[in-house]
Amino acid sequence: MATILVNGIKREVQASTDTPLLYVLRNDLELSGPQFGCGLAQCGACSVLLNGKEIRSCITPLSAVGDKEVTTLEGLPARWAKQKGLTAEQAAKTLHPVQEAWIAEQTPQCGFCQNGMMIKATELLEHIPSPAVAEIKEAFTSGVSPHLCRCGTYTAIIQAVQRAATQMAKGAKVL
Amino acid sequence: MIASQKESPSNVTDVFGASLSRRGFVKTGGALLVGFGIAGANGTSKVAAAVTGHTLNPGLSESWIEIHADNTMLIRVGKPDFGTGSVFTAYRQIVAEELNVPFEAITRVISGDTDRTPDGSGAFDFLGGGMPNVRKAAAYVHQALLDLASERLGVPKDQLSVRDGIVSGGGTRVSYGELVRNRKLNLTIPVKGDVTSMDGLTVDGDPPLKPVSQYAIIGKSFSNPVTVSKVTARETWVTDVRLPGMLHARMVHPKTLGSKLVSVGPLDKARFPNTQVVVKGNLVGVVAPTEWEAIKAAQQVAAGTKWTDWKGLPGDGRLFQFLKEDADWKTTPTQTSKKSTGDVASVLAKSSKKLSATYQLPFLKHAPIGPAMAVGDVRSDGTVYVYTHTQNPQALRSGIARMLSTSVDRVIVRSFAGPGHYGRSNGGNAGAEDEAVILSQVVGKPVRVQWMRQEDFQWSTQSSAAFSDVEIGLDTQGNLAGLQIDHYMPAMQDDRLVGAILAGLPTIPAPNEKGAVIGVENDSQDPWIYDGTPAVLERGHGTFQIGQNSSPVSIGLRDHSMRTPGQYQQNFPRELAVTEAAVLAGADPLQFRIQHTREKRLIAVLESVRDTSGWKTHSETASTTGGVSRGQGVSALFRGGSYWACVANIAVDMTSGAIKVEKMTVAVDPGIVINPLQLKRQVEGGTVMGLSMTLLEELRFDESGIVTSDWRSYPIATMGDLPEIKVVLINRPEVGKYGQGSEAANALAASAIAGALFDATGKVARRLPLKPAYVQALLKA
Repeated sequence: MATILVNGIKREVQASTDTPLLYVLRNDLELSGPQFGCGLAQCGACSVLLNGKEIRSCITPLSAVGDKEVTTLEGLPARWAKQKGLTAEQAAKTLHPVQEAWIAEQTPQCGFCQNGMMIKATELLEHIPSPAVAEIKEAFTSGVSPHLCRCGTYTAIIQAVQRAATQMAKGAKVL
Repeated sequence: MIASQKESPSNVTDVFGASLSRRGFVKTGGALLVGFGIAGANGTSKVAAAVTGHTLNPGLSESWIEIHADNTMLIRVGKPDFGTGSVFTAYRQIVAEELNVPFEAITRVISGDTDRTPDGSGAFDFLGGGMPNVRKAAAYVHQALLDLASERLGVPKDQLSVRDGIVSGGGTRVSYGELVRNRKLNLTIPVKGDVTSMDGLTVDGDPPLKPVSQYAIIGKSFSNPVTVSKVTARETWVTDVRLPGMLHARMVHPKTLGSKLVSVGPLDKARFPNTQVVVKGNLVGVVAPTEWEAIKAAQQVAAGTKWTDWKGLPGDGRLFQFLKEDADWKTTPTQTSKKSTGDVASVLAKSSKKLSATYQLPFLKHAPIGPAMAVGDVRSDGTVYVYTHTQNPQALRSGIARMLSTSVDRVIVRSFAGPGHYGRSNGGNAGAEDEAVILSQVVGKPVRVQWMRQEDFQWSTQSSAAFSDVEIGLDTQGNLAGLQIDHYMPAMQDDRLVGAILAGLPTIPAPNEKGAVIGVENDSQDPWIYDGTPAVLERGHGTFQIGQNSSPVSIGLRDHSMRTPGQYQQNFPRELAVTEAAVLAGADPLQFRIQHTREKRLIAVLESVRDTSGWKTHSETASTTGGVSRGQGVSALFRGGSYWACVANIAVDMTSGAIKVEKMTVAVDPGIVINPLQLKRQVEGGTVMGLSMTLLEELRFDESGIVTSDWRSYPIATMGDLPEIKVVLINRPEVGKYGQGSEAANALAASAIAGALFDATGKVARRLPLKPAYVQALLKA
């Protein structure tokens, strides 16, 4: 049993501490953003942010989370709202600019990998607000493994990252 | 969104419907979100009475298109979405266009559930040669609505007009919604075929269609509403399905593709007190309350399980020698292309310049990003529910019914979003469905089976390897005078359920067995497009799947169609050979193609990629600086009513042999372009997949089974491999049909990139993939 901080909320989980975080998120906490792709940290479908750093939840045991904050795809809108100091009412009507850009660019095909792509994009844009194409390619191909998309949506991902960067520079868009 | 009753009871109408998340989503989504997916006031109740034996009555118009009092509509289609979003974009555009209603009036699409959709078939050929079922169904409904309006308004039908779902005439008007309120349409949709067959039911007859010249909705870039739920984690993916009492399972698959079970390994009951090991024939599954327990227990059982050995495969190193020398090409009838013409033998004998070569393509994996996964629920009353991501739910339904020796009436397949697998399940199963059902039947509870990454590479089907022998002859003017191509490829449509085979349960016949119907013969489906060639002979030769006959369990290397099947294998040799013929003739490969066809649509796509890519005439192209040589290559293709052309610009490291694709330019003329943005995205993706297959992909196998096990042993293209991609869409309303827009984009890269390598280096690479070591060896030769 362990208590972990996920998307700003402390959650108690019964799973054994050797359980990979991915199964805890999906099965115990019913957070379905991260997907099982390989279980080997080779594809990125399971990515989440751990204190703002993209990690592969499929190989990260529950015991390694400690008191660090986990942010999943579900938590991106609240993360953005907090960063921009939005009210709870405003936050409820807001998506993260990365998600908005993914919609505007019609980025996904099957979409199964896009959780990891959006998590990676969020990490990148929090560090480099206006990345060049080469920096985007570097981000998505470095680290523990490249982020893989079998549908080949890389062009649309780059365009969405650039669109999100523009939107984030403008600040919060409240609907 | 995890679909459990616990979480969202208010949304659950039938436990875990495919529409669940979208309905729940709109409620919570706020103003940003598209108002799509809201069921009309009556939801699905109108057709509830039309369901017999878990099958919707296709004769009722409301089984296809349900018009609500508020003038919104719901459509039902058997084809499930597979990521292209066509059922949510193109299909709504087609129906809205025929009915003269706004695109947004179609607020809900139900697709891919066998008990909730009328026509079956699968996620392929969405546009059905320009006449998908929804187009005809909408056209019939339109006529019936006009009949009702004529009666109601007292105005002759030919004096009525419709705009935004309002029928006007004689100074009066009435909405569709008002017309159908408390009334049924006087209409029976005529259909033919078998709903559980590969192609499902076809809407029959010849209803009047809206003239293409009046199109106002088709041709616009509508967004796919499912994108919203996918990027906000509100989609119910197949991986999210949770049933009350559901257990998790992992399989213990055999050691080889021909192994039989000797003994099952022990399970430490103290460590896994609630875990069951299920054994049925050669099928071994481990069922546990939690997923992590199932994984750990399955690993323990697998470590101690003993299997017989088997060595019945040639191994990848001897693959092409095996295919050439050992495979049986005589049992399967040879297919001759309809475009074959003239006396090729005598033309080749008289030719002044000749080319004779063999081209080879390895086995490929569909390689979905997530492995096969399904939930099976065999209920005590004998009904069987399958929750999965399949391209052909009705065909899977038939396969499951056969496996259990029960009626299809008792089997229900529900479709969910999942990782795309590009043809693997177009004949029904993707992998885990049958195993989930078998385990559920044994343990008496719903069972969720998910394969691990290694199993998805080693126990799924592959895209067939192939080779082609080509002979080309030029006349004295350097024109293509004669060409003979013989394509060789093992059968590629094995739709048997592998779990059923292992468990010794009934399946359909294997390809090449008596009674098998498709995928046995090697058809030459993609006609020769250079009709200026006087003599052509193009033939397809088929054979058994490798190892299937010698495997004691009839498995071996099972093959299955994959994106642009057959044409992918055939277009590489055909188009690279045309480039070689052009070079032999001293001609520019792109102009050479234009000179050998009279088809204006083909010429237009070739001219388009020539102009858009900055194609340089043959003499001025290749350049070498700093050990890097650059070149350009071209390819073309005709498939499913669409003309394609592609130019690749590459850089070759002359020392290492590494190829960097710098730019891909693709032009497609599908006839009528339905949705430019969605088509462009699909073409971009297909282009990347084609690049990946060309440079990186090859299944590795030894004498016993598949060695490829993960993304390191089966690398695919990453963002680092991404070239600049230019897509040109050529809209031709005058064609009057919607051709297959996107699928074939992956089949153009190989011949274009190999052509560019030839251009850059003077070396011809006739075997895929074009890995550095192979190219390096060619450069040294």
